[in-house]
Amino acid sequence: MKKQWLSNFILAGIIRFLLMNSEYQKVISDRVEVSTALNSWKRVTEGVYLYNCGIDPYTGDLFHETPIGLYVFNFIQQHLSQWILFCLFVFTDLLTAVFLGLTAKQYATELVSKQKVEEKLCNENKETRNDASIVYTSMMYVSAGYLFNPYIILNCVGHTTTVFTNLLYSIALVSMTRSIFWNCLSISLLTLQGLYPVSLIVPAIIYITHSSSIKREKNIMNYVIVFASIITTLFGISYYIMGSWSFLWSTLGFILTVPDLRPNVGLYWYFFTEVFEHFRWLFIASFQINVSLLYIVPLALRLRHDPMLLAFSYLAITAIFKSYPCIGDVGFYMSLLPLWKHLFQYTQQGFIVGCFMLFCTVFAPTVWYQWIYSRSANANFYFGVTLAFAIAQIFLLTDILFASVKHEFAVRHGINKDISGNTAKLLLE
Amino acid sequence: MGLLTDPRAGSGKIIKFLLKWERPLCFFLYISGIVWILLLALPIFNDNTYFSENALLPGLVTKESNLEQTTKQYYTHLINEMKRYPDVMPYAWLAAKLNQLHLDVFTHNFTLIYPFQEQQFTGQNIYGIIRAPRAASTEAIVVSVPFRPIHSIYLDTAPSIALLLAFAKFCRKQKYWAKDIIFLITEHEQLGIQAWLDAYHGVTSGNGGVLISGDLPGRAGSIQTAINLELHSMKITSIDVKIEGLNGRLPNLDLFNLAQNMIAKEGIRQSFQRRFDVKYKNKFKNWWYHFNTLLMMITSQATGIPTGNHGLFHRFGIEAITLEGFEKPGQQSSDGNFYQVGRIVESIVRSLNNLLERFHQSYFFYLLPSTDTYISIGLYIRSLVLIIGGIFVKAFSMWQRLQVSTSTEDKKNIVVKQSKDDGFDIGIITSEILWAHICGVTIATSPFALTYVGKKMDFRTEDSIYFGFVVITILTLIWPFYFRRQMKYKNAALICVIALVELGTVLMCIAMHNFSLALLAAVIYVPYVFILPIMPKQNFTKFHRMLSFGWISLHPFMIASLIIMCYTYVNFSSDSLPLILFRGYRAIKQAFVFSIVDSMIYGNWLYNVTISTMFPIWFLFWNILCSNIL
Repeated sequence: MKKQWLSNFILAGIIRFLLMNSEYQKVISDRVEVSTALNSWKRVTEGVYLYNCGIDPYTGDLFHETPIGLYVFNFIQQHLSQWILFCLFVFTDLLTAVFLGLTAKQYATELVSKQKVEEKLCNENKETRNDASIVYTSMMYVSAGYLFNPYIILNCVGHTTTVFTNLLYSIALVSMTRSIFWNCLSISLLTLQGLYPVSLIVPAIIYITHSSSIKREKNIMNYVIVFASIITTLFGISYYIMGSWSFLWSTLGFILTVPDLRPNVGLYWYFFTEVFEHFRWLFIASFQINVSLLYIVPLALRLRHDPMLLAFSYLAITAIFKSYPCIGDVGFYMSLLPLWKHLFQYTQQGFIVGCFMLFCTVFAPTVWYQWIYSRSANANFYFGVTLAFAIAQIFLLTDILFASVKHEFAVRHGINKDISGNTAKLLLE
Repeated sequence: MGLLTDPRAGSGKIIKFLLKWERPLCFFLYISGIVWILLLALPIFNDNTYFSENALLPGLVTKESNLEQTTKQYYTHLINEMKRYPDVMPYAWLAAKLNQLHLDVFTHNFTLIYPFQEQQFTGQNIYGIIRAPRAASTEAIVVSVPFRPIHSIYLDTAPSIALLLAFAKFCRKQKYWAKDIIFLITEHEQLGIQAWLDAYHGVTSGNGGVLISGDLPGRAGSIQTAINLELHSMKITSIDVKIEGLNGRLPNLDLFNLAQNMIAKEGIRQSFQRRFDVKYKNKFKNWWYHFNTLLMMITSQATGIPTGNHGLFHRFGIEAITLEGFEKPGQQSSDGNFYQVGRIVESIVRSLNNLLERFHQSYFFYLLPSTDTYISIGLYIRSLVLIIGGIFVKAFSMWQRLQVSTSTEDKKNIVVKQSKDDGFDIGIITSEILWAHICGVTIATSPFALTYVGKKMDFRTEDSIYFGFVVITILTLIWPFYFRRQMKYKNAALICVIALVELGTVLMCIAMHNFSLALLAAVIYVPYVFILPIMPKQNFTKFHRMLSFGWISLHPFMIASLIIMCYTYVNFSSDSLPLILFRGYRAIKQAFVFSIVDSMIYGNWLYNVTISTMFPIWFLFWNILCSNIL
């Protein structure tokens, strides 16, 4: 068991390291699906250089990391040689996998205990099962899902800062039930950098309400205060590093107003190159509301018993609809999928989603080549692929959410429903 | 939206239908795909060509050129010069002639370091530029000719060089050029043009350190279009327009139409794939003739090898065609007709001069059954979609069957679901797929190692690559037998599903670049995939065993060898059988080397893509066919 775990990590590390040292590294890091304006390492290098020259990196339209990120990357680029830099990227990815594994372990134990309670409620006769093995497989699959996820491998090899963002995400997930401080710190760092992850405080707060009923209000207040104070401090530190508030417009403003229309796997670039300038603000507002506000409350109400699924759906929605998505974000939430292994039997669109995903992943570079290099295709081809990719992800998300509803139903009422003598299956219509 | 409903209303029916009629449906889709492509050659099913780009204004200018006499003069001089230096290009003479016309004349040196052997070849291209009097040098048109020495195995191109010089002389005097015109004479066939284009754009298209293109001393604007001339005689009776480029890329249809219309206008017979437009009264004959033209285009496009020097321009987004002029052997008349040929070139170049933007209006993806009709992508892609649709139907129904078998199992022990393994062993499946792909990539990169070993054993490059591939083929064939593994039916079926989906995806992606290759691959592979016996071993009959062995013949190396053998047989059918076999054997050896060298020099991806994608798919199926399925 330990051996397999270890061999997974070693193999994943080797794959990443080999790819990083191969000639493909440059190709991968230049792909628009991997590096966006927000996370490309090239831009970080430029920004650090400008910073060292005493020029405010935020004055141009080049650098969009946070000042804290700038400070850290400055340190990294000045003091680490290329080899250690490679190692750092690989190590960060492996660490993320460890945290995800821990999250899975936690969630699986939670699930098992919940099921036990429900079984008692339902009073059904069930055989004893091996809880430890469930927990172990869940942990194993989630970490392997992250380690061997092609999207994540490409992301890591492409040296994007999403590698570090994913680490923060995994810290946020693993600390959701454990430590208010670490959770608040990671979420506020993420918020500072990407804005949308602020929604993750909702599942965190729900976890707190679940934990103990006596000090519930106090705990929630506690959480909010800690979060507010940390995020204010971070803004303060940023201001201290830069000496001005110019960074706000280049980070959060850049995310919200979408001025960079370089193609990526998202849906914004095509839409806003096509839309009349007159309506730009209207559509930006509606797009941003769609990604950040619209789903928070309804999903929180529906999934209040399963905050981890809530966090997952927030992550997925952000990865689909955010302004500069990359495959690193997609890979992150996909590697969480084995957490819901118990829901897979209720899903229906696994095949379609899988085919779509594979198809889009292979097709995107193909049409990109035809559009950009040989000029025989045009932007519509590539947009078609990104649109299909987004649709596949939406299918996946709704499928999982609906499967959870079915699962709940099945747990309450038993799966084996007979309708006029025939066994029935539950379908989404 | 989300309602819990009874399943027997709705989508359950479709799935049941699919499961019941899976195999007939697959074959129906396959056959309808084939029928569709057959129908496409019918004149009813394709449209007449037309001009999309208004700016071309084809044939509206008053043509002023009369190149007959000048061409003849240049031709006699050139022939004399070529006889004096039978093996090399008369650089000095060509440069001097272009200089006399007061063009900006430059020479370009390039070196080929032949891969695997460390041999060096050098060559020179000569080009002269007429700067546009009407505009800044931002755009350019290329008129190019490949130079062929007297002893060359290819048909002579000296008349086209003479025409090029005469046309340059004519162009020099005109004031209406809005684009630079580059007159380019290249050496060593496609190597020269490839090196020149690489140098012009400052890139290396193939592997680094193979074709060293150096730098150009002079440039014009960004190249919009290129016309390549290959006129084989001073008396041209018919002109063939060649379009197929590297990796099956085609030029914009407008350019093809322009050339065909201008040729027709000057009263010279135009042809495509060396086939004239013949209209038979008999409908079937008519269809058969068109279908053969279409088939010739498909086969020549599928190889991915450019049919002329124009094919290498396409990569850079430059539309280019080759005009190949032939003389009808029987007719002997002293009089040339370069008056007309010159006017064809003039009117094409002047139309191109009118262009306001790059070609973008008309089709880039099309098939041609004759010179004046075309089949657009919207029509022809359907045949491939139908065929590939069959693959997905097969994959989906296999997947559904797996689901059903899981749920029936569930019924037996309703509650124990989670503790029980759900049937798929993800570790085995992923490792199987991963290893197959690693094998593919390793074989794709193996030629270096093979030639290295071969050199140690004193083999020639051809031999070491060929025998290396033979050994690899045999190894991959016996590998699964050596490790006769047990595999659960479920795992095997899931691997099959994944391999099927991958096959469909790969074919579709190839189709975006090279439709013909994808179509041929689909026609060969897909029906076999439908009938492969994926089932537990105890149900195997002799027929199933034979089917499994038939899969060997679809190994990429095997099928390449088979195709080349057939080709040799068709071309040399009068020879005795051993001689044909020997010829075929030599052709196969050369074909392997050429495809590898092409991929290194020009970036032709036929070899790389087939080995790194089709081979793993083949290998996955082969593994499953050979393993003991329980």
